[in-house]
Amino acid sequence: MQRTGQLETPAPAAPEVVAVRPSARAAARVRGWLAVTVPPVVALVVLVIGWEFWVREREIAEYLVPKPSAVFEALRDDPGRYVTAARESLTAAMGGLIIASVGAFALAVLMAHSRLLERALYPPALLVKLTPIVAVYPLFAIWFGFGVGPKIAIAALITFFPMLVNALIGLRAVDPAALDFMRALDASRWRVLWSLRMPSSLPYVFAALRISVPLSLIGAVVAEFLSGSSGMGQLILIANGDFDTPALFGAIVVLATLGVALTGIVAYIERRVLFWHDSMTGP
Amino acid sequence: MTSNPVADRAQSAPATASMPAITLESVAHQYEAERTTVRALAAVDLSVAPGEFVSIVGPSGCGKTTLLRAVAGLLEPASGRVEVFGSPPRTARRNGALGLVTQEPGLMPWRSVEANVRLAIDLAGSDGSATSWLERVGIDRYAGLYPRELSGGMKQRVALARALAVDPRLLLMDEPFGALDELSREAMRLELLALWERERISVLFVTHSIREALLLSDRVVVMSGSPGRILEEVAVDLSRPRTDALLTEPAFVESERHIRDLLRTSA
Repeated sequence: MQRTGQLETPAPAAPEVVAVRPSARAAARVRGWLAVTVPPVVALVVLVIGWEFWVREREIAEYLVPKPSAVFEALRDDPGRYVTAARESLTAAMGGLIIASVGAFALAVLMAHSRLLERALYPPALLVKLTPIVAVYPLFAIWFGFGVGPKIAIAALITFFPMLVNALIGLRAVDPAALDFMRALDASRWRVLWSLRMPSSLPYVFAALRISVPLSLIGAVVAEFLSGSSGMGQLILIANGDFDTPALFGAIVVLATLGVALTGIVAYIERRVLFWHDSMTGP
Repeated sequence: MTSNPVADRAQSAPATASMPAITLESVAHQYEAERTTVRALAAVDLSVAPGEFVSIVGPSGCGKTTLLRAVAGLLEPASGRVEVFGSPPRTARRNGALGLVTQEPGLMPWRSVEANVRLAIDLAGSDGSATSWLERVGIDRYAGLYPRELSGGMKQRVALARALAVDPRLLLMDEPFGALDELSREAMRLELLALWERERISVLFVTHSIREALLLSDRVVVMSGSPGRILEEVAVDLSRPRTDALLTEPAFVESERHIRDLLRTSA
């Protein structure tokens, strides 16, 4: 975002507009982007090449550590297998994330307006968070069957609490002067919620999403481990049983890529939505 | 908007024209701390006439802010009667009679300067355009900017435009220029005076600067702390428009010394 600098009070002059050619600005942006992306990519490429040579040189057994080229071949030979599994895991993860985020935000709104509700519901929510989710999977399997249901439930359960806590803090963390201003104009609770509390909570909501997006993938894959019925978790189980380590690595690469892509999407949306927030001063 | 909203209102409701803007009768308030009770206000009586500019000066913690919040209806005093234009603050608030400017500007950072003023207009259901109010406080050029792109002084101008945009009959200001540097304070003071002389609304202005109070007000209410009470009401008989040239005039110097002595002996 183009900053116009601090505008001083006496003699309000026109905002200082610095003439920058658009092409020059675009070039600067590309340079900035390259400066951030090139070093890690180079490091990754060096690591992969070094790994390839190390495995070849030492003739390490493939079931222990496969060559990167073997992992690549596993992915290339049967991409449909990974795509299908990834789609199943992603559906469960996103389904759970969306249900939990919407539900947790709605509950946070209620709790932000009633200390009694907060006192009543916070401890049970904490209890759910502190219970190891793996323990409740069999129960979910009984309730929701062996399809996508229990996977969504696990992903929802694991992402619910971060959103609840962050949203609650965010809805309460309003600028007192802004609240006074709205109250002096006799704004209703709903108006304060809509025009002040909700926008104020967005930085916290995005912080929660950054935590819960990878958590939702963990939840989905763990549920697939336990059910063994579909998705990346099942693919990993099968590859493991077959000592098919290249496929195992392939699954890890796919999941890592999913995690990075989802986090990137959240970060992108966050930059668009929170352009006004102090955390967005960087490039 | 070409007509004067205050004059319009006065014509349409002649009964309220002579009614005091603010009436406080033995207003007392205390805050419950962990072990003690802090008496913030002890039996304060005060009346502010329509169109009058009244300042409250006093040391930190003398209950100035408590008093202003009670008038705004943001705080229910423990005892006593608060009336704004003859009705409880909540009613006045509902009728959009109150404009509030606090030390922190309290702008919505996700709204542009113009959208911040528009929010106030929407909430109050008043008419008038945000742009025209920005013009009046001299910041219409920054309508599209966001609060974080503005200096403290500019933000306070937006807060002032926002408070005025609801067409208030009473403007409540709690150390509005407290966080500004000396030059910005002076510029804002002149702006405020010019606006007040144009709009002729009632103003209750809380400050701890004696000079600021004297330069702005018709009357200075001097308060002292623990518990907060009014020491004296000092009428300011200085000609308007007032400029910094007054600072060296004998009447000004005398009033300033008098108020300072009052505050010193009470401390």
